[in-house]
Amino acid sequence: MRGAVTRGGGARPIQRGTRRRLHRATLTALVLSAVLLASVVTSLAVGQVDLPLPQVLKAAVGVPSDGADFIVGQLRAPRAYTAALVGALLGVAGALLQSVARNPLASPDLLGVTAGGSAAAVASIALTRSVDSFSIAPWAVAGSLATAALITVLGWRGGIQPMRMVLAGIGVGFVATSITTYMLTKLPERVVGSAYLWTVGSTNARVWRHVVVAAIAAAVVVPIAAWYQRRLRVMEMGDDMAAALGVNVVRVRVGAVAVSGVAAGLATAVTGPIGFVALVAPAIARTLSGRGGIVVGASALMGACVTSVADLIAREALAPTQLPIGLLTAAIGAPYLLVLLARMRN
Amino acid sequence: MTTDAEPRVGATNPAAASTDTAHPAGTDVRLAASHVSLAYANARVVHDLSLEVPPGAFTAIVGPNGCGKSTLLRALARLHKPQVGTVTLDGADIHTLHTRDVAREVGLLPQSPHAPAGITVRDLIARGRTPHLGPFSAWSQADADAVAEAIAATGLAGLAERSVDSLSGGQRQRAWIALALAQQTGMLLLDEPTTFLDIAHQYEVLDLVHRLAQTGRTVVAVLHDLAQAARYADHVVLMSAGLVVAAGPPAEVLTAGRVGAAFGLRVTIVPDPVTGTPLIVPTSAPGGADLTPNDPLERTR
Repeated sequence: MRGAVTRGGGARPIQRGTRRRLHRATLTALVLSAVLLASVVTSLAVGQVDLPLPQVLKAAVGVPSDGADFIVGQLRAPRAYTAALVGALLGVAGALLQSVARNPLASPDLLGVTAGGSAAAVASIALTRSVDSFSIAPWAVAGSLATAALITVLGWRGGIQPMRMVLAGIGVGFVATSITTYMLTKLPERVVGSAYLWTVGSTNARVWRHVVVAAIAAAVVVPIAAWYQRRLRVMEMGDDMAAALGVNVVRVRVGAVAVSGVAAGLATAVTGPIGFVALVAPAIARTLSGRGGIVVGASALMGACVTSVADLIAREALAPTQLPIGLLTAAIGAPYLLVLLARMRN
Repeated sequence: MTTDAEPRVGATNPAAASTDTAHPAGTDVRLAASHVSLAYANARVVHDLSLEVPPGAFTAIVGPNGCGKSTLLRALARLHKPQVGTVTLDGADIHTLHTRDVAREVGLLPQSPHAPAGITVRDLIARGRTPHLGPFSAWSQADADAVAEAIAATGLAGLAERSVDSLSGGQRQRAWIALALAQQTGMLLLDEPTTFLDIAHQYEVLDLVHRLAQTGRTVVAVLHDLAQAARYADHVVLMSAGLVVAAGPPAEVLTAGRVGAAFGLRVTIVPDPVTGTPLIVPTSAPGGADLTPNDPLERTR
């Protein structure tokens, strides 16, 4: 920074420190982007048929190359891109909710928001008997949004009480899951299979339609979340402090929870509920970036990385058997949760 | 400087309350409350209170627990909407103003603010620039300068890169005050800035606040220690049960009779041996029992 302030005597170290910290957040974003890119390219190249890299890269950008087109273009690419985009949506959804609740446990999957989305999706199948994913998707979003609103209201006592919210969320999640299970028992055989898929997170058999929906969702959600970021960071210092700094606390809170619900709902609409990504990604992104507050971009990148890597392992670890992606994310998420709970007890 | 024509509730010397010579000539009162009543749920805490904040001076609001002093401060900071009456900033009802515009004029340090885990001192202070930044505004040189000035004014230069969690109580409080300074407001409201601090840190914070007032800022602080209020404030507002009992220079407001009545115990006022300002010494326990010279802690009921 030119024009160094000379007051205080410590101007030089101060400026150096600023640059070092700015670099840390930027560095984190760059590293995560690199990891994500590597993971996606690996997902495209590796599989039952291992393809040479140049062919893969050509097919990935649409240049016709013999052999790779179908495998990469029709099978692997949609799946890999969907996984990454859904991971980004979940990362952002988790980041927003955790910031609003000022608590790392407040995540859409832990708090039943994604379960609410699944329940609504199955309800729509029960009501309309249609399994067309495009017509079910809005129900999933509406269900997640309604659940997010419900747990916020239940968790409210003069302000969001994180523990109340978490307990309400766990309760609502159980109720949503029970309702879903009940509806599944009542559905006719021909739709039960598809309906069941809506309760299980899966990146298997994704097609380009999924990628388009997820991409549009991410393109809308991430910038809006970034728009809230500065004010959310201020709200993490307490409602009074935030109001004193000119933040409209109620509006930001409602807006952030709504965006979180929509993001989680859209993710659920594309792949079904994938757990733990929304819980783990924002916290790790926060720690790596060192900015002392919500980091939307890094949360999205971290979420995408987690889901992408989990998807790759789910597909290839026991090939040709496909592991459910939820298993992999749980394998990452459960130990993290235990560490978190252990640390909270101190 | 216009003389306040309406009599203050309980004030025995209204003239003293309005002729405050601490501030530069020509500065007008900017922040005032007019016949405000404040309530939580339906329990009224402050009744028909009127107050003008003397510009460019350090005003201390004191009184017993539950007298409404914090509530009054929060109302002045636009955090609490009056049931009746108005709080005005530059003549306009503060609640008709946009919260961001108010944040550019009035800074507040609330009780027990919460620092996000792992945040550095510099990042914390930088949050004070929020009223001057939009959601996507770039960080400008003006912002960097404001933060640097705030760090210098609070003497935190060597601690700027440390995590706020690792600071002592006094240093942390200075960081919060630096945040309010980075806001670059003409007025600073502090809600019990010395609570939970040990005696050394309390005076460290009070010295800083006093210095800020001397540079022309209008400072209002809720203090629980009467002697500290007497020592540092130019203007004291004594409250009791939601009313202003007296307002004016410390020596005139803090009399044995008034303090005794407000706090419910008998006191005697002696001059502070260092500064000469009033020092409040209790002569009876709450409830009226006399404190004996030999056993000051023994209470006879």
